[in-house]
Amino acid sequence: MRGVGRDRGLLLALLVLLGLAVVIAAQAVAMGTTPFSLAQVGEAIFAFDGSRDHLVITMLRLPRVLAGLLVGAALAAAGAVMQAATGNPLASPGLLGINAGAAFAVILAMALPTIGAATGGGLLGYAFIGAAITGFAVHVLGSLGTNGATPLKLVLAGAVISTFLTSLTTAVLIFDQATLDVVRLWTLGSLSGRTMNDVMAVAPFVGIGLVAVLLLRAQFTTLSLGAEISGGLGQSPLLWRTISVVLVVLLAGSAVALAGPVGFVGLVMPHVARLLVGADYRWILPYSVVGGALLVVVADMVGRSLFASQDFPVGVTLALIGAPFFLWLARYRLRGA
Amino acid sequence: MMPRYRAISLAALLVPALLLASLMLGDRHVDLAALIKGEATAEVRTIVMDLRLPRALMALLAGMALGIAGTIAQAVMRNPLAEPGILGINAGAAFAGSIVIVGFTGLSVTVLPWAGFVGATTMAAAVFLLSWRKGTSSARIVLIGIGLGAFASAGTSVMIAFADIADVQRLMIWLAGSIYDANWDKICLLLAWLIVPITLVCLFYRQIDLIRFGDDVAASLGQRVNLVRAGMILLCTAISGATVTVAGLIGFVGLIAPHLARRMVGPGHARLLPASALVGGLLLMAADLVGRTIIAPVQLPAGIVTALIGAPFLAYLLWGRRHVPA
Repeated sequence: MRGVGRDRGLLLALLVLLGLAVVIAAQAVAMGTTPFSLAQVGEAIFAFDGSRDHLVITMLRLPRVLAGLLVGAALAAAGAVMQAATGNPLASPGLLGINAGAAFAVILAMALPTIGAATGGGLLGYAFIGAAITGFAVHVLGSLGTNGATPLKLVLAGAVISTFLTSLTTAVLIFDQATLDVVRLWTLGSLSGRTMNDVMAVAPFVGIGLVAVLLLRAQFTTLSLGAEISGGLGQSPLLWRTISVVLVVLLAGSAVALAGPVGFVGLVMPHVARLLVGADYRWILPYSVVGGALLVVVADMVGRSLFASQDFPVGVTLALIGAPFFLWLARYRLRGA
Repeated sequence: MMPRYRAISLAALLVPALLLASLMLGDRHVDLAALIKGEATAEVRTIVMDLRLPRALMALLAGMALGIAGTIAQAVMRNPLAEPGILGINAGAAFAGSIVIVGFTGLSVTVLPWAGFVGATTMAAAVFLLSWRKGTSSARIVLIGIGLGAFASAGTSVMIAFADIADVQRLMIWLAGSIYDANWDKICLLLAWLIVPITLVCLFYRQIDLIRFGDDVAASLGQRVNLVRAGMILLCTAISGATVTVAGLIGFVGLIAPHLARRMVGPGHARLLPASALVGGLLLMAADLVGRTIIAPVQLPAGIVTALIGAPFLAYLLWGRRHVPA
């Protein structure tokens, strides 16, 4: 009986959190140098009339907030899946080399204009391709051998490949000041200047990934118990680790393509969820998704209003407002262990 | 057991070989035979004795220190991804360094190492104090380290995002970690600073063996877990803080050296500690040699090259042991 009551409470809290996210997202669209009312925001979305106000809302504010929601939800979900699959609290989407690969691809495309000009696509495409290739390379290196992708091999492979690529990126940036100047905001994670086209290009991937993760949340809970227990329960750890990698690449790759390598959400949001709702991934996953989306939108709002700058990188504000909260949780809510 | 000792003796033989190579190779090729016979000019002697030898020794020392610090971190945190950076050491040093480079452009460069040291130790102390609630736990230290590290990195990121681009470039070179201003004074300083903590670590290697098994096991075998953990973290901070002071932020060695060493000598710390030191020293010495010769006269920071040569090597090891259950 207690279990049922707890589930009901958690579900209720999740719905409240979801409602809060929607309200805050609407507020984030309304807030800015030209403040709008929530009614105006609603009109611009549902009864667009082509006026300047409506253009500002739909062309500038809305894509930015949507991008924030997508990125936050995707990264937090990917981080939770990584932590479930590896059983390592230090695991994050970045561990699969997603961030390093995306950054390397972007910087390579900028530093070698012949490649950049030949393909003509924006940073978005390079970032996604770089992230995807690196993610799968890490998985292949990590799952060599008869016993497949054990968590230890996977995290080591990830650390190896991402450090390698990061070093190459740094080497390029140290010698190429012009590229450094262009990409330094991107490398910190930023939502400024994202268009509706960018958001729409990424949204389907994130959508598929999120739906899959939420549908499979019970499987990820089993996976998080470790290979012995999950194998004993009839789950194939190898198959499910591979599925995890595919989903993480899909989600985090899209997020990195859209906003650059944002590190904090994917690593920390699953921990926040775990500290709040316990070790059950059936709850950690939905809470991570909603909480991650909320966190990124709030961080971007704070960045825009506090620093009065459209360019303040959201990756920085995220850590500045998220870290103290996380520290408090880690200090006072960490049970056992 | 044979391959085990073959690998480690090969590594031990590589040290003098690399040292000799470091003395000979560079912008100007040095004939060592002539130098030993005393036929070399004063200029050549200066190049070898005052520039190349201290630099190679410094790389060896700093690498050994990082290898040992990484081994301690992985044992105490019981996490294969742990490295001294987990204690916030790197993030703290980076933040302090970025303040000095970007905020006080007029300040002498000699302040930089000390700022790094202060940043590193302050961060480690903060991580430890925040994790202390009637004792510590590895899980809490890891999480607090992540949180505080993210906070400090955000500060560094602000500098990278908005500072003058030339300053940012200088900052990135420092952050990459390099040893090109090595001299005998610095080596003596580093030695003096390292000798006590490293001796202590080696004396208490059995305690490290124990704590690796987990708090409960270690405590039931009579270990005062909190005391040992606090002591080991203090030693780890002292060792890696010292390397930050002389060599900047050299990542990856502390992470990878223990893994390479473990594949050579197994998990017991009596062998693992010296093996990690050996591997770390080799790796950094090789990285510095490659970094200063490969695209001379331009020098690549050693911290970058460690990853560029260390990562493929670890990948090769992963491949070689792909069927071994782990």
